[in-house]
Amino acid sequence: MIRLIAKRLTAAFATVLAVILLSGVLVHVVPGDPVTAMMAQSVTATPEAMDEMRSRLGLDLPVWMQVGRYALNALSGDLGTTIRGNEPVARLLLERLPNTFMLAVAGLGIALLLGIPLGFIAAVNRGTAADAAVMIVAVLGVSIPGFWLGLVLIQVFSLHLRWLPVAGTDFRNLILPAFTLGLTYCALVARMTRSALVEILAEDYIRTARARGLREHQVLIVHALRPALISIVTVVGLVFAYLMGGQVIVENVFSWNGIGRLAVQAMLQRDYPMIQGFIVIFATSVVVVSMSLDILYGILDPRMRQR
Amino acid sequence: MMSANMMLRTMLSRPAIRRPLAAVLVAATAIAALPAAAANLTVARSVDADSLDPQKTGTTQSLQITNLIFDTLLTMDKDGSVHPGLADKWTVSDDGKTYAFTIRDGVKCHDGSNFDAAAVKFNVDRAVDPATVNPNASAWGPVSGTSVDGNVVTVKLSEPYGPFTSFLTNIQSSLICPSSVSGAEFKPIGTGPFKFVSWTRNDSIQLEANGDYRNVNPLIQNPGKPYIDKLTLKVIPEAVARMAALRSGEVDMAEPSLEEAGDLKSDAGFKVYAADLSGQQMVAAFTWKIKPLDNPDIRKAIGMAMNRDAYANIAFEGLVGTGNCPVAPNLFATDEALCASWGVKYDPDAAKALMVKAGYGPDHPLKVKLLVHKLPGWDQMHQIMQQDLAVIGVDAEIETREVAAFFDYMKGVNEKTDGEPAVWTMGMSGVDPDYLYFLWKQPGFVNMGLNADLDAMLEQQRQLSGDARAAKIHDIEKYLMENAYAIPLLSPGWGWLMASSAKIDGFKMGYMVSLLFNDVKVAE
Repeated sequence: MIRLIAKRLTAAFATVLAVILLSGVLVHVVPGDPVTAMMAQSVTATPEAMDEMRSRLGLDLPVWMQVGRYALNALSGDLGTTIRGNEPVARLLLERLPNTFMLAVAGLGIALLLGIPLGFIAAVNRGTAADAAVMIVAVLGVSIPGFWLGLVLIQVFSLHLRWLPVAGTDFRNLILPAFTLGLTYCALVARMTRSALVEILAEDYIRTARARGLREHQVLIVHALRPALISIVTVVGLVFAYLMGGQVIVENVFSWNGIGRLAVQAMLQRDYPMIQGFIVIFATSVVVVSMSLDILYGILDPRMRQR
Repeated sequence: MMSANMMLRTMLSRPAIRRPLAAVLVAATAIAALPAAAANLTVARSVDADSLDPQKTGTTQSLQITNLIFDTLLTMDKDGSVHPGLADKWTVSDDGKTYAFTIRDGVKCHDGSNFDAAAVKFNVDRAVDPATVNPNASAWGPVSGTSVDGNVVTVKLSEPYGPFTSFLTNIQSSLICPSSVSGAEFKPIGTGPFKFVSWTRNDSIQLEANGDYRNVNPLIQNPGKPYIDKLTLKVIPEAVARMAALRSGEVDMAEPSLEEAGDLKSDAGFKVYAADLSGQQMVAAFTWKIKPLDNPDIRKAIGMAMNRDAYANIAFEGLVGTGNCPVAPNLFATDEALCASWGVKYDPDAAKALMVKAGYGPDHPLKVKLLVHKLPGWDQMHQIMQQDLAVIGVDAEIETREVAAFFDYMKGVNEKTDGEPAVWTMGMSGVDPDYLYFLWKQPGFVNMGLNADLDAMLEQQRQLSGDARAAKIHDIEKYLMENAYAIPLLSPGWGWLMASSAKIDGFKMGYMVSLLFNDVKVAE
């Protein structure tokens, strides 16, 4: 067990480091720099003054040096300060991380609450109209873009019914974005649940259970769904990563004050420390969650520890 | 209200006196509430400020907020004339290198400290210190020293700087109270009409009216404290969501999208405002170093093909006007009629003839790139422009980039002397024609500088003042337009719209798309 944890920790650390280096280079390769971006509406500096600003901000150094310096600082826990506003990146991100997590967890909760029963219905009624209906819903869910669904929900629930506010970051504001994410990702969960269940329902021990005269609901829920859930747990890590990524757009639509909003703003402004900080925090969250799930899985299923 | 309600609740917990007292209190609250009609205002913008320190930011979204908290030394009227601000009066030495500003008596900072000549000196010193990394530092001019004598602050320049007083009205030159930077972190403490309360970045900024405020800005009528008590500036990035918030009453005002502004205009429940004094001007420019755009006739023909009225009325739904000069209307020395006499006029037939003379026509079109960046209305403008150019035998291929990438790309394009010729569009803003200096003096913004002749004129206008300076600015504008280096298009062009529900009265937009809430009243 300790070997598993050590292995996972090493892999996680290496992943985050690789992300820092790669994203650092990519961020600088994107055309446009923060100083020019600052002058885009109203130019108030001579080219010499802009160069002076660049050197004050360390933007005149070679990319490898800027990235290397950033990686060293980041590994020692210093994510630097933003170019716009000169505020500590770590503080801005950590203040918003709980909001982003809250939304991701709420979205995941809805995705699971809707997706598992739907997948279950589809698997049990395999080949029937109910199965086809669920799978059509699943395809729709995957295909409908989050920003569009979000705007439709705002039009219906905020503007016409006036049940929920349009913008903000408190509990009432959580409902619509959580549903937007949940509806999008419940499709993925439903498909996973269905395929896991279909596989299990073909196993010998299910036939044995039925032969022993167990009631059908007992067979399905105790003997089929429980083992299927274990494989769903592994999918949750994947869905969570998707959710965190998809959330950038949903945060913008619902003005939810999470780290995705900061990232979008920073990208337009070429605020390098902010963009890199976002990527580091984002990558770390995803790595930590999937590592925790791996370890949890190891505890649940002893066979995993050997791998 | 809050305390009255709480008191009410406490009182009500005693059953014996509940009913009669409740009646009295309810009546009293109702009467008290009448004159003080809930004067709170919530405004939704698309983008948050990135800093509340006016000496560390240059973006409109930031300066719109800092301008509410801080004041400027001078102010500007609709005609571009300069008026007192925090300075009552000012004098300029004959050589144009020494300015003395007398600071108004009794100006109080939001924390109660006095705002005096020493505070102004502190600001000027900080604004031009390279360590501040102030994006507007160059616009302060060649400041070489500052000194204080009583309530007079003297600013010395190493050479004359004609645009100096104009710049001191610009929201980019807002003055902070020195107590703002007394701690480790910047605290927005100013002398302006609103006091800072709180800021949740990317979410909302809370301000409250400054009871001690005395206004001298000629664009504002209210002489004292703003009529509204609390002002909340929310961020709602998505245009559709912003409009839903306005229509549902969740906010009182919002930046509308261009399409929505057209709809709201014809709806009696809403008002639409445009910043006529934005200081923004859109122009088309050329890669004039690349053949055949080195030929002024071809540049003129391209300018003559551009139907600016169609851009204004179709692409921008009639919410902008055509601007005839290379700088925005209303600024110092900017004469729209004069500029019209120097520039090319819309005349596709004459343009076609010029192109034929240069050897181009429908069978042998001139291939150019139309290099542009993304902004609302601009996409459609460029599509119409593309059709306009096709008419005169110019085959333009549109390439759209996101703003930061665009200017970075233009830096490279403008350096080239051969390759594919390009027409490109841009917009700039300011409160003085001196922004021509930052754009066109070699090497220029994104390498768009022209030549030694223009450089000399751009330097000279800075050395002059008054009518002599105006004449020099006319020379510069004439040079840019007669040689067709710049084709003025429209004014304004980005983020200049605001919408409110009909119950909001008195809202105005000032220079640089500043938001003026001093005169705002909220009807019941």
